[in-house]
Amino acid sequence: MRLTAGFEMLGRLKHRALVLRSVSAACKRATSRVDEPASNDFRAQVVSAVSEAFNNIVLHSYAGRDDGVVEMDIQTLPDHISIEFRDWGDSFDPDSVPPPNFDQLPESGLGVYIMKTLMELRYAPGQPNVLTLSKKIPPGYRRSTPAKGRRRVKTRSRRSKSAT
Amino acid sequence: MTFTVSSLEGGALRIVIEGELDAVTAAEVRKDVDQVCASNPRRVEVDLSTLRMIDSSGVGTLVSIYKRVRAQGGEVVMVGLRDQPLAIFRLLRLDQVMASRDVPGVVASAPRAGR
Repeated sequence: MRLTAGFEMLGRLKHRALVLRSVSAACKRATSRVDEPASNDFRAQVVSAVSEAFNNIVLHSYAGRDDGVVEMDIQTLPDHISIEFRDWGDSFDPDSVPPPNFDQLPESGLGVYIMKTLMELRYAPGQPNVLTLSKKIPPGYRRSTPAKGRRRVKTRSRRSKSAT
Repeated sequence: MTFTVSSLEGGALRIVIEGELDAVTAAEVRKDVDQVCASNPRRVEVDLSTLRMIDSSGVGTLVSIYKRVRAQGGEVVMVGLRDQPLAIFRLLRLDQVMASRDVPGVVASAPRAGR
């Protein structure tokens, strides 16, 4: 079963909690509770990568602006989760960011490394820039029976009061 | 997020960070971090047992404390790491450098020289 949830918000750090709560809930829905530590680990990895992606949009794509729109779609399949962000700010090239030099204990430049290491990262620059993070759910953590619910959930809070 | 600093015996400080240390809260505690480092502590123990979530900005804050205190000849140790923060520390290989032996899998607690 494929479940998709869509969100639209302004690119402000205060909306990060909503983003992470939504992604965490999607992971919980997609993974088995039989092996809870492993599922928690999977969720922590996805939430960590998504956190960096949202930070990157707010702090770099929309640097200095607080009126930029961010769209996010969370798609869960039985064996897979993917989160797509779209923004209309400045583009960047994730491949141009060098990996951190751990010997020097870097204080910055870690976000892209975290994203790339924990999930598969695809980035298409343009208007919008499209950043997609995806991750296979290991067989041991998959939910054996599909989660019950609507076949497709689409929630659009277009600059609603709570998302501005 | 709360960032609490208390004094211990022998010129040591204890910092307890609770909640989320991220791009928002890391900026909020910058002054507190500056104060800690300016006090030239001999030892700083950072208790992360109630830290729920950390991102790269939060990691930058902890690394900054570590480097600045170490540069003044002090010692820094992070204790109580677990869950998502522990996963990030391991990913960034910080658990071997900054975390104490209470973290599963950590074999070296002494800070490396020259860092």
